[in-house]
Amino acid sequence: MEIALYITIFLFGIFAGGLGATLGLGGGVLMILFFTLAINIPIHKAVALSLLAVIASSSMAGSVYVRDKMTNIRLAMILETCTVPGAVLGAFLALSLPGRFIEAILASVLLYAALVSFRQVKSEKTIFREDRLGIGGEYYDEAKKGMVRYSVDRLKEGLFASLLAGIVSGIVGIGGGIIKVPIMNFIMKIPIKASAATSNFMVGVTAAASAVVYFSKGVVDLQMAVPTVLGIMAGAYMGTRLLSQTQSPYLRILLAVVLIFFSIVLFLKSGGILVW
Amino acid sequence: MVNAETTISWVLRIGVTLSALILLLGVLLGENILWLGVLMLILTPFLRVFFAALYFLLHRDMRFFVITLYVILILVIGSLLKI
Repeated sequence: MEIALYITIFLFGIFAGGLGATLGLGGGVLMILFFTLAINIPIHKAVALSLLAVIASSSMAGSVYVRDKMTNIRLAMILETCTVPGAVLGAFLALSLPGRFIEAILASVLLYAALVSFRQVKSEKTIFREDRLGIGGEYYDEAKKGMVRYSVDRLKEGLFASLLAGIVSGIVGIGGGIIKVPIMNFIMKIPIKASAATSNFMVGVTAAASAVVYFSKGVVDLQMAVPTVLGIMAGAYMGTRLLSQTQSPYLRILLAVVLIFFSIVLFLKSGGILVW
Repeated sequence: MVNAETTISWVLRIGVTLSALILLLGVLLGENILWLGVLMLILTPFLRVFFAALYFLLHRDMRFFVITLYVILILVIGSLLKI
């Protein structure tokens, strides 16, 4: 039943888009897990579809963040000089790797994401020093009722992390926000809200740079792309309007446990121990 | 002059809406239109980089114009590369 499959994908897309918007995830992690484990399509095809979902949700959230001036466009452009070539490289690398390697890499990324999610201590310490590079920024903080100014620390480490995030995103199709946000916040000392908005902004281009490689190699399943993209869009639309961003620590811990569970499942699948 | 934020925000919004509409149309009209819809979706973030370049150029911010141009170059190479 083709139609039943498309409806299932559409409904899961709504769920992933909505939950993604609420938790501040792009929805990419949920989509890739759904495609590989539930729908059971080949991992390369799953990654390609997940990338499309990431572009859709990032562009939708991005238009709001950018309008509200949370996004640091100059900083994003500088980091993109590394993350975009990484994303192209990652996509070519993935297409030459056997599926079980990609599953193992995805399992490791999930484990990392779970650890980050567990210790969701945000660094609110921002510094303002001389802004030599012209990439510091400022934004209006709703909670603090005032402007927050910040400068950017340790750009070199940030560039390296962006390259890595690009490669990983191209291989497993998640966009890479899960790698970028903690590094921008903890190491580059950018306030969490600006980190999240700027990362989301980069994620769209990162995913598109990989997606175009999968697309031109004909790995994108056009039929399945429709419910994926439309579902994510509907979910993200509702998520950003109806739900407020939750900071509940219980939800975070629940998410971490779920990620660890799926990480183990994927490790077993890539090792050929678990087959279905 | 229109600021960068407003322009880029609109580029993203129009791009996403347009690709959703083309994909819906593709369900009725077939694979070729679906292909176009997916292409439009992938091009949306590309377009926003292009508009960022234009913005930096208009503001005579040459350093960031060159940086953005470099990102565009990588995007184009990635799109055309056949290995």
